[in-house]
Amino acid sequence: ERGPELAAGAAQPPEPSVLPLLVCPLSKRPLRYEAATQELVNEELGIAYPVVDGIPTMLPEAARKIPAPPAKQH
Amino acid sequence: VYQVFENVAKKYDIMNDSMSLGIHRVWKDVLLYKMNPSPGILLLDVAGGTGDIAFRFIDYVRSVRERQLRRKLKHHQNLSWQEIADSYQAETVKPLGDSQVVVCDINKEMLKVGRQKAQHLGYSEGLSWVVGNAEELPFGDEKFDVYTIAFGIRNVTHIDLVLQEAYRVLKPGGRFLCLEFSQVNNPLLSRLYDLYSFQIIPVLGEIIAGDWKSYQYLVESIRRFPPQEEFKAMIEDAGFLKVDYQNLTSGIVAIHSGFKL
Repeated sequence: ERGPELAAGAAQPPEPSVLPLLVCPLSKRPLRYEAATQELVNEELGIAYPVVDGIPTMLPEAARKIPAPPAKQH
Repeated sequence: VYQVFENVAKKYDIMNDSMSLGIHRVWKDVLLYKMNPSPGILLLDVAGGTGDIAFRFIDYVRSVRERQLRRKLKHHQNLSWQEIADSYQAETVKPLGDSQVVVCDINKEMLKVGRQKAQHLGYSEGLSWVVGNAEELPFGDEKFDVYTIAFGIRNVTHIDLVLQEAYRVLKPGGRFLCLEFSQVNNPLLSRLYDLYSFQIIPVLGEIIAGDWKSYQYLVESIRRFPPQEEFKAMIEDAGFLKVDYQNLTSGIVAIHSGFKL
């Protein structure tokens, strides 16, 4: 019974079986699943797609830009 | 298009039943019969929001698997209790035999309705939901055995892009199946159908869903969609082979099929 978990606003993890199938819709490159923020991250493009209520929302307009990591010191 | 479906999502199933007098269920059953999936198949159902195709797929594969297991049991005359128990175990642990269906829709409201239905009806195993654009799919190359799009392709802006993406995500040997409204091939039925579409459907839309405009949009989108032969040519342009179509209900709908070979 999944009833209580699906109360409005409750965070739900995505169905694990779908994760290996997903890529970035723009670049078609693999993504990294970040459980802490519930996002699917495209490191190369610096964007992350949200997982909302356990449903990966793989639309470019839904993605947020990830601030670039600090530049390496030489 | 998005807003049409936001309004329509909750009442989608009721409207389908009313507009098509329940015949849409038969059309979808025929699609599954044509697909004839075996356990282990990976299906991508695009624009499948409320889950109709996905649930049918699961039911079909489950019953094929049950039959397989039962046949295995019958052929073994002297089974120990352990072997019988193991067989039943297999049936409960892997009722779908590794089959999986991913439902992809651009509209999260439709998916939410689908997911609720799934829980209500007891579907959980092998089913996942993704918000995505059919013209720009978020799936890797050559991942799926079958791609279906039922009553979704007429709503897209670029049919050719959808077909190209379908081709990309299918494995070699994979099958494309599209169930969509098409051209009626009988002149008398055609007049009746036009009358029904333009006079009755929007009225039903207003009465049942309080939304005349969305249903008028749906009717118009049906008229705009290319006829059978033209759509077949578009599918071939995307690279599919052995493309053919089957008219249902005198061409009110058609199932187009193609293979990535």
